Amino acid sequence: MRHDGLVLILLWRELVAGLRAMRRRDLAWIGLGGGALLAYAIADIVLGLHAAAARLRHDQLLWSLDLPLALAVLGAIAGNTVSALCLERAFAPFLKALPLAPGQRRHMAGRAILAIFVPLGVLIAVSAGLACAVIGKPLPAAWGLGAAILFALGFVTAALWRLRRPRLLFDEAVSEAAPVGRPWLRRLDRARPRWLSSWAWKLPGGHLRPSWKLAAAGLLLAIAAILGAWASLVGRTAGPAAVAGLAGGILVFMLSLRCQPLGSPVLRTAPIGFTRVWLRLVWLPLQLSLAFFLLPAGAALAAEPSAWAVPVAGGLWLLVLNGAYAVFGAYFLNAPFVAMLSFASALAYAGYETLEYGRTVLIGLAALVFFLWHRTRQRYRNG
Amino acid sequence: MDEVLAVSGLSAGYRGRAVVRGIDLSLRRGDILGLLGANGSGKSTLIRAITGQIPLLGGSVAIDGIGLAAAPERAKAGFGLAIEPHELPAPLSGRQYIELVGSIRGCGPDDLPSGDLLERLELGRWIDRSIAEYSLGTRAKVAILAALLGRPPLLIFDETLNGLDPVAAWEVKRVITALCASGRHAAIVSTHVVEAVPALCNRAVLMADGSLDRSWGAAQLAEAGRVPGAFEDSVMQALRMRAAA
Repeated sequence: MRHDGLVLILLWRELVAGLRAMRRRDLAWIGLGGGALLAYAIADIVLGLHAAAARLRHDQLLWSLDLPLALAVLGAIAGNTVSALCLERAFAPFLKALPLAPGQRRHMAGRAILAIFVPLGVLIAVSAGLACAVIGKPLPAAWGLGAAILFALGFVTAALWRLRRPRLLFDEAVSEAAPVGRPWLRRLDRARPRWLSSWAWKLPGGHLRPSWKLAAAGLLLAIAAILGAWASLVGRTAGPAAVAGLAGGILVFMLSLRCQPLGSPVLRTAPIGFTRVWLRLVWLPLQLSLAFFLLPAGAALAAEPSAWAVPVAGGLWLLVLNGAYAVFGAYFLNAPFVAMLSFASALAYAGYETLEYGRTVLIGLAALVFFLWHRTRQRYRNG
Repeated sequence: MDEVLAVSGLSAGYRGRAVVRGIDLSLRRGDILGLLGANGSGKSTLIRAITGQIPLLGGSVAIDGIGLAAAPERAKAGFGLAIEPHELPAPLSGRQYIELVGSIRGCGPDDLPSGDLLERLELGRWIDRSIAEYSLGTRAKVAILAALLGRPPLLIFDETLNGLDPVAAWEVKRVITALCASGRHAAIVSTHVVEAVPALCNRAVLMADGSLDRSWGAAQLAEAGRVPGAFEDSVMQALRMRAAA
């Protein structure tokens, strides 16, 4: 078919346009800084693998369950993301008028997914094979191939599920066009500037449309909160509930924060400053996050009243982490998934290095947050 | 203060490359400036620079006496920009968008130059529907309504009037003319509808290759407006001369 490569071409053009839109200085910073960081991380991982080689080689649970599960989940996440990206292009509004049947569009998307999968699969196989070689595991090439197969299983399952149900992609368009009903958010969204959260969350007129995604997320979070609270109450210890409250609270905040109005000329040409808009966008997700935190924190307090400092410290850390993520969310305003991934990576990396070099690494993380805040504010003010 | 907009030696563009350069422009209350130019001549870039959407590479902009670089929020309170129709927040209804802009500008959603403007623009049956459902013209009407909210001293329309139906275009032109005639407002109307300029504007400038190429004063526009097609001829002649140079 003549249009087979269209989705790939679109993705390639978007990538090139994105790179061209960046200033050379920023590109150089990203290239050199990112490259140096990557080289350092690889060297660090190799040293870590070397040090723990004997234990890793004989860890049965790791090789039989943990790694296969992790690779399959990684594959499923990658497959879901890549197929969503490709289907979005195949069903893009500007292609609507072209005489292409839905089957042909899915075919175009499928071809692009396959093309993107090949280098990812090779990367997984090479990484796993090299890691096995470093720790002296026999047959590293076979382990690399096995890792690629497990990754492929997750990837292909998620991609096929997406490809067979491309309608899910249009949820957003449908919700934008839905008639405005009685908005439950009306009272919450009246602070100045009004309707900002409805806009950020793409709720037509503050009207929340029930969806399977929302129900599943709510159910999972409720289960996590109840399990954490139950573990604390049974064990008479504050720890599990406090951890569940902190982890769930930050997750709720990350899932509910949307900052794309910060990029709109509606606000950028209006007499309102960046900080005010940013705080207004953060306000409702913060309330949701704290509301989630209260149940496990209450359980932690009830389970071990003398350890009241644990839930209090959890609450303070939640505020700090929410604030830091809010900066990432504002910086990557049109890509909340990238914001989540970047924040989680930065946090994990800072946490890991802190164990090695002490708390000075946290100052680096704080500096990064302030730098992103400054750049986002500059972009809001000057484009 | 009589001067609503003062642009001096302005250069602006994208990624450090100047698209418009050496722009000097002054607008007084009562002025309606027609901004003309071919596609890519720099009209939208100039408006983006004046409204603080892109950084200035040189020069300065002051709105109602307030420097855009020094006090951007206070300066932005001095103008109402009709946002490009595709940039309106699609999930909100027209009424919610008006309320959003009103709450930012610190005025009520009904603080419009004319109380019945909603009906005159035939927006009544659309205003509570989601903007995603609007046609281009209906979006343009909502954008114009939001620009007029709170009656800012400077009104800016970047090709927004082009998408309106004849009745709405006539109503909007009447409102702009009445506001500027009151001596409290000035307006910039960027348009490709050259023949509409003498009837609406009392000043006009032609942009070419990122700079102001030619300007017309009130008397010249009035003179050109008396002979059908005279102003169009004058603009075309300027464009041809520019192309030949």
